[in-house]
Amino acid sequence: MPASISKDDIQTVYPRVAKAIAEALARDPAEVRVTSRLFADLEAESIDLLDIVFRLEREFNIQIPRGRIIEDARGDLPEDEFERNGVLTAPGLARLREYMSEVPAENFRAQMNLADVPALFTVETMCKIVIRAMRDGSA
Amino acid sequence: MLGESGLAGKAVIVTGGSRGIGRAIVDLFAAEGANVTFLFRTDRVSAQEAMEQARARGHSVSCEQADVRDPAACAAAVQRTIARTGRIDVLVNNSGVIRDNLLAWLEPGDVSEVLETNVTGVFNITRAAVSHMISQRSGKIINISSVAGEMAGRGQTNYAASKGAVNAFTRALAVELAPRKITVNAVAPGLIETGMSERIRTNAGDQALNRILLRRYGQPVEVANAVVFLASRFADYITGQIIYVDGGFKME
Repeated sequence: MPASISKDDIQTVYPRVAKAIAEALARDPAEVRVTSRLFADLEAESIDLLDIVFRLEREFNIQIPRGRIIEDARGDLPEDEFERNGVLTAPGLARLREYMSEVPAENFRAQMNLADVPALFTVETMCKIVIRAMRDGSA
Repeated sequence: MLGESGLAGKAVIVTGGSRGIGRAIVDLFAAEGANVTFLFRTDRVSAQEAMEQARARGHSVSCEQADVRDPAACAAAVQRTIARTGRIDVLVNNSGVIRDNLLAWLEPGDVSEVLETNVTGVFNITRAAVSHMISQRSGKIINISSVAGEMAGRGQTNYAASKGAVNAFTRALAVELAPRKITVNAVAPGLIETGMSERIRTNAGDQALNRILLRRYGQPVEVANAVVFLASRFADYITGQIIYVDGGFKME
């Protein structure tokens, strides 16, 4: 399991993450709160998520591998116990809920499609992605 | 001309820019006042010469060596370009090779080299450049296809397949990038007087000329004209299109 991420860690990167997200979405930075959901609250589209990732990679000089959240959340759970045909299994969903603890529990649905996971992302999710990528880089 | 093309000062990347059609594209963008960087694979002498001639005319032209088949080399070349220009406004995917032969006589390398350069190369350099265009919320991507993408002759299975793929890539990417106001189009030349088409022109002779409505081969600059048009502000409302510059080759 990767090292835990504290609230302080989040706050350290949050201003720069929020700025990148605000720029990608052409929004006022004040609207980008740590709990804001990228798609539901900030009205991001899938191409905006790409832009956010590109901007974060440039801003923090990091690499954010695609599908990283899913891989990390799965951890040591074998792939076919985590998801089947692109749909999260019950243990898979439990792992993801634990890993993405910043997302309110009620937002996770049973039989959730892997492709729908990014719709859960909040600004804090992006902060955590950045922190993990920075730790990878300095490891 | 209809007035300013809007290309002065724009940062343009052209792959395969040291010779043939690519060189004509580089020269025409440079003449419009764009800041052009062209990529070349091996021919450093031609590249250097093209760059020096352009600079002697007061044009802003640079070059970077990169094999488009290598994703890391593409990413590095784009990164070096961005470090100089700060942005990418136009990407012209022009690199291409031809290895004509009857299917049964094609060596495995004749297939892989054509597909890797003409198709994978377009993916590699576009993937490297597109992140910047997405963040800029603007950009124009122009792929050099060929009439062979739609109707090819004998001995062109590999080349035709590669250009058909470029056409499909163009249309699909246009859909993907439209929300960010990035246009993606292709220019499909017919028989153009370049070193690359010399063998076809020599072998096919009058038979080829008779299939061209305008009864002559095209000049590299005539392809460049279409590319520069698609990159200009005059083409802001054009995306997902394949523009044929072939003297009417495919009409008969």
